[in-house]
Amino acid sequence: MKRFINDSKKYWESAKFSAKSSLKSEVASSHLSWLWWILDPLLFMLVYSFIALIVFGRGEKYFAAFVFIGLSSWNFFSKTVRQSVRLVSQNSAIVSKVYLPKYVLVYTQIMINGFKMLISFVLVIGIMIIYRVPVDYNLLFVIPLFLTLGLLTFGISSIMLHFGVWVDDLFNVVNVLLKLVFYLSGIFYNIANRNIPEPYAGILLKGNPIAFVMNELRNCMIYSTTPDLVWLAVWFVAGIILSVIGVKIIYKYENSYVKVI
Amino acid sequence: MESKEYAIEVENLKIRYRCLKKVSIRKSLFSPKKSKVETFEAVKGISFKVPKGEILGIIGKNGSGKSTLLRALAGIFSADEGTIDLHGHSVSLLSIGVGFQKKLSGRENILLSGILLGFTETQVREKMDEIIAFSELGDFIDLPVKTYSSGMYSKLAFSITAILETEIMLVDEVLSVGDAKFKKKSFKKMRQLISNKERTVVIVSHNSDTINRLCNSVLWIHDGLVKMQGTTQEVMPKYEEFMA
Repeated sequence: MKRFINDSKKYWESAKFSAKSSLKSEVASSHLSWLWWILDPLLFMLVYSFIALIVFGRGEKYFAAFVFIGLSSWNFFSKTVRQSVRLVSQNSAIVSKVYLPKYVLVYTQIMINGFKMLISFVLVIGIMIIYRVPVDYNLLFVIPLFLTLGLLTFGISSIMLHFGVWVDDLFNVVNVLLKLVFYLSGIFYNIANRNIPEPYAGILLKGNPIAFVMNELRNCMIYSTTPDLVWLAVWFVAGIILSVIGVKIIYKYENSYVKVI
Repeated sequence: MESKEYAIEVENLKIRYRCLKKVSIRKSLFSPKKSKVETFEAVKGISFKVPKGEILGIIGKNGSGKSTLLRALAGIFSADEGTIDLHGHSVSLLSIGVGFQKKLSGRENILLSGILLGFTETQVREKMDEIIAFSELGDFIDLPVKTYSSGMYSKLAFSITAILETEIMLVDEVLSVGDAKFKKKSFKKMRQLISNKERTVVIVSHNSDTINRLCNSVLWIHDGLVKMQGTTQEVMPKYEEFMA
């Protein structure tokens, strides 16, 4: 534990710097550069709005904001987890030449994707202003919700990082699983309003941390509702436990990663 | 002799490569037979001590475990058995182009690489001009690294590691970089780095000439074991005789 804090302090700068450089290098390579960080979620929102409103003929209140919140937080989670599977082999040049605690690579990814999520959420605020969505003190709950999301992402990603080194085709499996979770998480529909019989609706909504965080983010941002605090606490603690497990595994095995890649 | 201060102490070090093959879910589903775990011992129990300020050369034929040993010293590999004690000195593996982002400029890559090697941003910034001057890149420093020729690339990489100094330097055959002029210069720089009495250097090389000129003691590794250790004058003639 102490080692974790010390190492995190020591390598935080390095993670921050790599994240910055990688964002910069992304901008340098594409013509529309940073515009894509905005365009990407915006265009996908249009796609999902089209499917939900025109094909299925059902929407939610403030639908654009609804989809956007779901999509942005989902992208943050899924991108980080997916990248983490290949993180060590992709960074083999670094990993085989200097020592760094391997979860620092996850930090970097979280910063990169977190920054993109931040941009998306600025857009969400823009949409909310256009819709004139009323907000109240419940908005403050976004802070513990984002923390929970971050912890869960970090925990799952660091565990994936470990197994991604050893298991060759984990990437494919994770991709399929993420797709499944994507459709189960209610990114462009509202699980609660779907007439899904109990207990399934409850399980879908509370048993899936991503769906839970997403739903409560919407509740407190656009529907002025207080989140389910018990489940928030449960998933917050779960996030901590997953992170501890992830960091422990990484510390135990990280020195043999280089021997495999 | 007895009160000598050691920078590196290695005790009975063993490093094994085990199960180099990755597992794949597809394979383990269709052929559930457990594949035999093959162990290959690259370093089979090496002990040695390096006094502070010494320049140690490690020689041996290909595949004798030199690079593995060096990486273990740098903390990249874990020892399967035995211990490595660096007495809290900072250590760096002098290696080329750590963490370069090819789309970014040379200047940004200096920062990136330096921070990855464990320096703070201010430390790297302080040395920035020195690195740029040493690399002889001139105006190219502000262009993306992907536009560099391979020689320019290695010059930049060498300059970063040569100018950002640590207490223990591990060098893995990097002295043959760039054109003849730069080679001479980097050799001189190595000499100068080495001449610092506080610094301990470990060099891995096939080149007897490099070892003869730079090192004051030599460790000869053969098939993962120490074959001989002693001063350069003692070991090198035997080694050359052996290899001939």
